[in-house]
Amino acid sequence: MDRPNLPVIGRRNAAHPLAAPGPKLRPVAPAGTVECRGCGRRFVAARFEKHLRVCPDCGRHAVVPALNRAVQLADSATLKVVRFEIGDRDPLGFDDGVPYPSRVAEARQRTKLQETFVVARAAMGTVPVVLACMDFGFLGGSLGSAAGEQFARACDLAVAEGRALVAVCTSGGARMQEGIASLAQMARCSAGVVAVARAGLPYISILTDPCFGGVTASFAAQADVILAEPHARIGFAGGRVIEQASHDRLPDGFQTSEFLLAHGMVDAVVDRGVLRETIVRLLIGFSARS
Amino acid sequence: MNVSTDTAERERIAIEAVELARNPGRPRTLQVIAEAFTEWTELRGDRLFGDDRAVVGGPALLGSRWVMVIGQEKGTDALSRAVHNFGMPHPEGYRKAQRLMRTAEKFGMPVVCLVDTPAAHAGIGAEERGQAWAIAQSLITMLELRVPVVSAVLSEGGSGGALALALADRVLALENAVYTVAPPETCAAILYRDAGQRARAAAALRPGVATAYDIGLVDELIPEPMPGAHAHASLCVAALRGALIRHLDELCAKDIDVVLEERTRRYRRAGDGVAAPA
Repeated sequence: MDRPNLPVIGRRNAAHPLAAPGPKLRPVAPAGTVECRGCGRRFVAARFEKHLRVCPDCGRHAVVPALNRAVQLADSATLKVVRFEIGDRDPLGFDDGVPYPSRVAEARQRTKLQETFVVARAAMGTVPVVLACMDFGFLGGSLGSAAGEQFARACDLAVAEGRALVAVCTSGGARMQEGIASLAQMARCSAGVVAVARAGLPYISILTDPCFGGVTASFAAQADVILAEPHARIGFAGGRVIEQASHDRLPDGFQTSEFLLAHGMVDAVVDRGVLRETIVRLLIGFSARS
Repeated sequence: MNVSTDTAERERIAIEAVELARNPGRPRTLQVIAEAFTEWTELRGDRLFGDDRAVVGGPALLGSRWVMVIGQEKGTDALSRAVHNFGMPHPEGYRKAQRLMRTAEKFGMPVVCLVDTPAAHAGIGAEERGQAWAIAQSLITMLELRVPVVSAVLSEGGSGGALALALADRVLALENAVYTVAPPETCAAILYRDAGQRARAAAALRPGVATAYDIGLVDELIPEPMPGAHAHASLCVAALRGALIRHLDELCAKDIDVVLEERTRRYRRAGDGVAAPA
């Protein structure tokens, strides 16, 4: 995992008004032992982390927290987390027993994240990028209005600084507690993607387990290149909903990365071990302008 | 009144509002096309896989202006509901809509979308053919379209399946319609793992279009006669027709670059509004 510490090329503007310097976020520290949920083998957590949370025995790709993901993808020592000032949202005053703001506060406490996305400036194979990584641990990676604003500002940042956009997607879909305002985020994120496309900048999305609903049906599926991790569950409606609605038995391998590859929906299914180099190769090709 | 009956009362009111929006007598897309438009020619098929009857569309005259009208049709009786799949489109429906929008753009025709769907279809075939991909592409198409777009929510606008026809320069809604992130049944299944708790979900979700109006996703509510549009559907269609023409008159008077810039700015801020207290 040793990587040369390469300089960042492209326009850099550290004082850009969109982005305040990041807080001291640290990747979730590995401690103790972890068990592979595929084969049950136990690992020292630090070693599992070094394996990018992929089981060397059965190859199962475990969930990666957003910040750890950013660290995995960025050239070493180039990662700079960007924290946007985004106010707290509760458009409906949602309360179904537990008030929505206290659910958000609890998720923040637990994950140490501001919202679903971790946005960072970084270089990938020296190509300057904005990384937007979702964290499934933050209310199921759900897309609320603050998360939508994070993604849109990540797009603005990419446009302002001429960076490529790389989004790692994992989500249960729209955040129900924000009702119609969360539906609107599909439009907001799409507007961000359109801005990146108009600037002629590359956008690569990586679909990871699980990815559903309004996230798949907006920015996750709007990229120039859509990659998926092996055996990730990806779709629009959840399997349970489809089974109940159609009374059909779901085919084997339904809504997996491999299923989507076979149906022409994703460009490639890529092992996590070669994900970084695959993205780098594409980014270098797209930025060559030869 | 104690707290628990207050909650029960709120849930009863919420679910009654959803039922009102689902009244089968409300004006449907084909009825609106028949009564508010003339010279309609239906154009079918997505030129890729099939023809999804949950979405209907084609060029028509609205007053003195040629437009491309595209809408979700729920059907009016057992047979037509089955034919139109209860207004729940497959990917082919969204791809047909995109194709018609591009045709409209080519000939400088404004687009009118009639939104009338509980949600996009959830099924094996829909997933195989990329339901999420189709909706995502519709959102991009509508953001980029170089002609004015006006949408109207007739009865139900549910999920990304509705937004895929509602990302417009102006969004109108009949005042008793609902516009939600997901139908209350689905929302209850997600939040409580029990679709039976739809009343509880409906009360918390506030699905009425007034919420979408407060949040800024809907610009104008079309008044309905008491007790609802189903009582005088044609009257409602006439009111909607007037509003559509008025908004198109305003939009067509503007430079298209200005319209596009306003559209982009609007959806870049989408969902920032706050609903009035319940």
